[in-house]
This record gives sequence, structure tokens and C-alpha cells, in this order.
Amino acid sequence: MTRAQQTISVFVLLTSLYAAFFLGVVPTSPKIQDDIVPVLPFWALVSFGAYLLFKLGYGVFTFNDVPEAHKELMAEIEQARTELRAKGVSVD
Amino acid sequence: MLDRLVGLAMLIVATTVFSYYTIWTLLMPFVDEDHFLQSLFPPRVWAIRIPVILILLASAVVGSFLSVVMIRSNRKKALKAKQGKKAS
Repeated sequence: MTRAQQTISVFVLLTSLYAAFFLGVVPTSPKIQDDIVPVLPFWALVSFGAYLLFKLGYGVFTFNDVPEAHKELMAEIEQARTELRAKGVSVD
Repeated sequence: MLDRLVGLAMLIVATTVFSYYTIWTLLMPFVDEDHFLQSLFPPRVWAIRIPVILILLASAVVGSFLSVVMIRSNRKKALKAKQGKKAS
């Protein structure tokens, strides 16, 4: 089972559960049926967006610099530049 | 330094939006009409209108960007085909 199939099956399950509440197959109090059930998909969408933004922000917040790897990479770039220049390739 | 601030700002915005929207849509129906809390929230119709408007706006922006890119690439392809025909 691929990840796409998994996601789609979970989505279909939740949608059918919601449809049961939306169409009144599952009885609930009138206040919940009128005020809460129609709003749930929008709430789920907004919460999903907020979750994605949170995940992004957390990743950006906790992304640390790696000065040693940076120095090493710069040295390797310089080395590659000199080698290529010696072989006649025009660099920068 | 700046990127940490941006990340922190995104975190704060995400939590604020989530809490405000959750309280607005799922909690306010159970709060009496004359409670003080009701004054902090606009009428609940807007809880539906604002996401719908944002979705329509986002799809319009994405759609226009996609169409501009496709038209430009088709024009380039047509130009190249014409140049190829002229040369041959």
C-alpha cells in the first residue's frame, strides 16, 4: 500500500463519518446539528493550514548553522575551482 | 538571527489563528448571547466567509501564475518551431 493510497483511504473514512453526521443519519442535539456540524470541514481546513504553518515555522526556527561544514564546503569549492581552471574550464 | 525571528513569527501566527478560529467556531455557539466573550468575535457567518474568500483568492493567484507560465512556454515553443521551419 502506497502512502497516497493510505492517505486517500483515511480521507474517505473521515469523509463518510462526517457525511453520516451531516445527513442526520446519526442523531445529535439540534444545536450541534445546526451550528457545529456544518462548520467542521472549514475548521479542519483552517487547522490543517495552521498545522502546516507551525511545522514550517518550527523547522525554520530550529535550523542551526554548521560553521565547520561551511568552511569545509568553501575549501572544496575553491579546490574544484583551481583544478578546473588548470584544465582550461572558465570558472566564474 | 532574522530567520529565527521569521520562524518564531510563523509559530505565533499559526497558534493564534488556530486557537482563535477553534474558539470562534466550536466554542462560541455554546456561549450565551449577552456574555462578554461574544464581543471579541465577529458574527459567525464570517467564520465561513473568510476561509472561502481566501481559498478563492489563492486559487485565482495560482491559476493565473500557471496560465502565464504555460502561455509563455507555448509562445516560445511556437517561435522555435517557426524558426526551425524557416531554416529548413
